[in-house]
Parts: sequence; structure tokens; C-alpha cells
Amino acid sequence: MRRNLSVYLSENMDRLMRRDRFFFNNPVFLQGLGLAPVVVAAYNLHNALVLSLAAAILLTPTRVVAALLARRCYPRFRGPLYALTASVLYIGAWFCCRAVFGVGIQTVGIYLPLLVVEPIIIKRYERTKLERVPTALRKGLLTTAGFLLALLLVAAVRELLGTGTLLGHPVLGGAPLPMAQLTCGGFFVVGLLAALWRGMRNLFKRIVSMEANTK
Amino acid sequence: MTILRPVFTFFLYAILAVAAQNAIFSRALGVSRLVKMVEDGSVELFKFGLLLAIVQFFSSLLGYFVSHLLLQLDLSYKTAFLPLVLVLCSTVVFLLVLLAIALAGNRIAARDYLELLPMATFNCCIIGALLLTTTGGYTLLQTLGFALGSSVGYVLAVILVNEGQRKIQNRNLPAAFRGLPITLIYIGILALAIYGFTGHTPAI
Repeated sequence: MRRNLSVYLSENMDRLMRRDRFFFNNPVFLQGLGLAPVVVAAYNLHNALVLSLAAAILLTPTRVVAALLARRCYPRFRGPLYALTASVLYIGAWFCCRAVFGVGIQTVGIYLPLLVVEPIIIKRYERTKLERVPTALRKGLLTTAGFLLALLLVAAVRELLGTGTLLGHPVLGGAPLPMAQLTCGGFFVVGLLAALWRGMRNLFKRIVSMEANTK
Repeated sequence: MTILRPVFTFFLYAILAVAAQNAIFSRALGVSRLVKMVEDGSVELFKFGLLLAIVQFFSSLLGYFVSHLLLQLDLSYKTAFLPLVLVLCSTVVFLLVLLAIALAGNRIAARDYLELLPMATFNCCIIGALLLTTTGGYTLLQTLGFALGSSVGYVLAVILVNEGQRKIQNRNLPAAFRGLPITLIYIGILALAIYGFTGHTPAI
């Protein structure tokens, strides 16, 4: 049973690595998308939750609506189309975030409105081939899940290292690495997590390949 | 002195945006685009930088007046509409630059510029700088200086990271660190150097 699974995974590894946007091709750690909010604003879990809610509201609907509208749009204007769609949807996202977090949304500063031009949301316009609506929906949901996973993971690590707390509750009794709260610390943490992610992915590929080749 | 003071203000804010408040190293604005540009190596940096500077300068000019009009309106939730207003300003400049390129002739060069234009317009560096100047209450000269400095600072950051690639992408590096991870760590080291130079200023 396990060997059959390994053979199946080994045969479909390339497709899996390309299509899975949650782990194997995570948009943040492997594709380098959505880095600005992750590196700067996600220095604690509260900020990450604000950004997560906004990204969850913006990402898939922008992709789906823009995929629909792009059919009637001249290819050169797809960039403005995606950015304007995200900006219009942002109005709703802002009211939702405001309703849930109140004035707490101010802690993420410009990184909340900046989501409207974040490549993770609007980068699809660069591809010449039009995206089908069901594909946009599926990829949008998967990308959202991958982005939220990375955002929350980075925020938890940075909060833990930077202040020794999680969601404001003391966990470590001290701050092991206060630099993790800064922009440079954000680059280091995301870089190291990306390396760890790649290492785990390579290890998984090697194990699957070994198991599939075992007689 | 009345002439020199505005000139001084303009250049002071331009230098501030290039060095101490660099879009990449202090706020990570447009870092996803930078990483892709460095990895691909296919984007012509001079053309991209030129478009970025033009779009950023004129978007800031337009954004300054439009955001002041928005502030005068009696709207309760202006911040919810601000990104839409700023993206609209960038779109107007995008259309004007598109028109200018189309009218300029020289089809081969025009095609390159037309392909780079959306990338240079709908960019975190541009909208980020617009958000900073409008919410920070900058004057017109400060806004224009900061906008021009931001684009120059962004291009300089791309050159710096591009140069670093030759050193950091070697065989001795563990496989897991090659590509994006080491590039981010390298940018982190540069960001730390800038932080040491400027001292603590809040990025948000």
C-alpha cells in the first residue's frame, strides 16, 4: 500500500511540485511572492491575522473577477484591470477587517492597502494565456491557503524570537532575538524558513524516490 | 535663499528615500519583484528604472492633488478608498506613458518598454511610496523628492543585489539555500547595514 503510494507520488512528482501551492510550491517560501507584508508587517500574530483576513477576502475574488473581466479586455490593460479589481474589493475587505479587529488594523500600516498591488494577488496579469474561471477559483483558494500558512508561521516565529510571546501571552520568559522584530530580522527569518522548506521538500522527494525504487 | 530652500528640501527627501528610507532595505517594498528580476536576469534594468522613475514621479504629483481633494471631502471612511484613488492615479499615468511610447516610434524599443510598463506601474514600490507620502502629510516638494528618490533607491537596490548574486550563488552553498533563501538573507544583511547607519525608525 505504502509502496503503491510512493510509486504514484514518484511518477507524478513534477506535476505535484508545480501544482501544489500549499506546501510543495508554497507562494512565499518557494516562489517569493507576497514578501513585503510577510517580511515587515508580520512581526506578531495579531498583525498576521489582520493581513490573513484581508488576503483571504482579496486574493481569490480578485483572481476570479479579473479572470472574468479579462475576456473583454485588451491584453495591454490586464495590469490595470487586476489592480483596479483588487482596489475595489479592498473597500469590502477594509470594512470586514475593521469590523473584526477595530482600530487594531492600524498596526499593519501601509501593508494592508498595499495588498492591492502585491504580486501574490495581481501577478496573473503577466501571463498571456487567459485563465478559466474554475481554474482561477481553485488556484486562488490554494494560493490563499499557502500564503496564510507562511504568513502565520513567519509571524509566530518572529513574535516568539522577538518578544518571547505568542499573541501577547508570555511563552519563553524573555526575548531570545529582538532583531526578529525588525525588517532585517524579517528577511533573515523568511530566508531561513525558505531554506528549511526547500530542504524538507528535497528530503521528501528523495524518500519517495527511494521507496518507489525499492524492490 | 527663497529659491535654494525648496531645492534643498527636494534633494533632502530624494536622498532620504535613496538611502535611509530605501524602499527595499527599510520597508521591503517591491521585494517580490526584485527577487524575480534578479533570478530571471531577463529584465533590462535601465528601461525598467526609467519607466519606474517616470511613473512614480507623475503618479506622486497626481496623487498629491487627488488625495488632498479626498481629504477635503466629508467622507467617514476615506482610508478604505485611498488605495483605489492611488491605483486610479497610477492608471492615468500608465495610460499617458503608454500613449507617449506608442507615439514615439521605433517599434523594437517601444515593444520592450510596453512589456515593462505594467510591471513598473503596478508595483509595491510605487503604491507604497504614494501611501507613505499621502498618509505622512508630505508637502508637494517633499512628495516629489521622495518619489524620485524611491525609484532611484529601488534601482540601486536591484543593482546591489544583482552584483551580490555572483558571490552568493556558488557551489559551496548547501542546495537548500541556493536561490531565494540566500538572496533574502543577503538583502537582510544589507538591510541590517542600513539600519545600523540610520538607527531605529519604524518601518510601518
